[in-house]
Amino acid sequence: MADVDVKVEITGSVWKIVKKVGDKVEEDDEIMILESMKMEIPVLAPEDGTIKSIIVKEGDSVVEDQTVATLEN
Amino acid sequence: MAFEDKIKDHEARRAKAMAMGGPEKLEKRKNAGVLNARSRIDYLLDGGSFRESGMFGTSYIKEMREQTPTDGKVCGFGEIESRPVGVVAYDFTVKGSSSSFTNNRKMSHIKDMGAKRGFPIVFLSESTGIRMPDVMGEGMGLTNEGNRFWRKRESPWVSSLMGYAFGSAAWHACAADFNVMRKGSVMAVASPRMVSKALNREVTGEELGGWKTHAEHSGFADAVADSDEEALDLVKTFLSYLPTNQNEAPPVLPVPPGSEDGGKTILDLMPESLAKVYDVRKIIKAFVDKDSFFEIKARYAKSLTTGLARIDGHTVGFIANNPQFKGGVMDADGCCKATSFIVMCDSYNIPLVFLQDQPGFLIGPEAEKNGVIGKIINWMNALLQVTMPRISIILRKSYGRGFINMGAGGIAEEVAAWWTADVSFMDPRSAVTIVHGVDEKDDPEQFNQLVDEMRERGGSAYDLASVYGVKEVFDPRETRAYLIDMLKFHRSRLTGGVGQHLLSCWPTSYV
Repeated sequence: MADVDVKVEITGSVWKIVKKVGDKVEEDDEIMILESMKMEIPVLAPEDGTIKSIIVKEGDSVVEDQTVATLEN
Repeated sequence: MAFEDKIKDHEARRAKAMAMGGPEKLEKRKNAGVLNARSRIDYLLDGGSFRESGMFGTSYIKEMREQTPTDGKVCGFGEIESRPVGVVAYDFTVKGSSSSFTNNRKMSHIKDMGAKRGFPIVFLSESTGIRMPDVMGEGMGLTNEGNRFWRKRESPWVSSLMGYAFGSAAWHACAADFNVMRKGSVMAVASPRMVSKALNREVTGEELGGWKTHAEHSGFADAVADSDEEALDLVKTFLSYLPTNQNEAPPVLPVPPGSEDGGKTILDLMPESLAKVYDVRKIIKAFVDKDSFFEIKARYAKSLTTGLARIDGHTVGFIANNPQFKGGVMDADGCCKATSFIVMCDSYNIPLVFLQDQPGFLIGPEAEKNGVIGKIINWMNALLQVTMPRISIILRKSYGRGFINMGAGGIAEEVAAWWTADVSFMDPRSAVTIVHGVDEKDDPEQFNQLVDEMRERGGSAYDLASVYGVKEVFDPRETRAYLIDMLKFHRSRLTGGVGQHLLSCWPTSYV
């Protein structure tokens, strides 16, 4: 099974982590929510899979294209 | 019987052409769940409507004639839902449907007639590219490129990539108005084998030019399909929104029952807090004719949604900021997506509706490296040349240059706003930090006071309306009724619903 990187598409900070390691997700399920540009922007699962790792914690700053979680599919 | 020999000979030749690359190759494709060139045509066209052109074409090299029935491309004319089309179906079972002189002549004829007589061309594509023995040496000297990629959009071109697509198949996919890619297909300038040799490492087809590359990065795949049949269905669906040629208005369809109901749910789909995001596609689906929204480039530049739909039976093109992705921020890829959609809609007499909810253009070094400045202005260049109706509705926030690129500021003939609209050069909270050097976390009281002062300038829907900056302010639930009326009054009556097509020669791929 290949690992899939979950990358953020916008610079911001991690506001809330919604899923945990081991959770099954479908494509476009919310994994965490960033705060950016005064908005709460979801980080969505790029495909179906199981959360293998969450690499950031709430409050961390993140930049565009940074991997914040991985999925196993 | 008279001429019995002739009749039998003709039937034998016909059977050979119809057999394509032979039963073994056809069986292999069938077992893999992949259609062949003739079964793709049968699936696509109305039954019995196909008239083949060039059935007895072969390689121009005499020794190769027997091995090249139809010279590897099945071409002709037919109908889709009783409307005429030209078809070029690449037959991969014959020399990998490689391009050579006879099949290029066939293909050019069908394309030229589509332009001259005003009907769409559909490319059912799968090809290894040019047929190398034919063009090596003096073969290059016989090349006659002609005008084959001078796109004037006289009639729509639609491409369906269903396998390897090199050379002609790839060029036409990128020149087409709509290109669907079946998963497992590969589109690239050169084959994985050639690229692996050049880069001295293994490069798979998927990595080189698979559906993800073209749907998510290059933007050359407007849609993705799981099977040949699904790809062909998408071709038919796309064509159903468009006219047969640029001199006709798009077809008008009956309004499905229940189309009035969705608008009532819009307030449930919108978050009250400006900090929360939503998927604008759900909003669009709520007020257009039921089940009529057909998204284009869904996986590319997702913070900007483009798609065709119907309002009261009439085709409309939507360009909408989508806060669900990146907060709706506008970026370089979004500019390309908007520009190519504007060109397609205007070229085929489709009015445009912009839905605004965006925090501005993405800034930073990466944005500059991506050429966002030039792409913003290309978008404006295209938008200003549109002669079909343009309508812009401000849903929530709209800041900065994006306000104008999305049709306000005197561009669209009609600009309106929901009562949630909030327009400014930038988010007032960011403006306070930049203008006064005060951050919320350092001095919240002063910060909030300065934000209130910034807001006093007034960017609400009613502030804009007071100077006719928006012509109407309405409840989101009235969006459908507003669009029905605006599209009715703005129909191009003086020209029978047909625009001036100032964009018809715009480049076909601008990424």
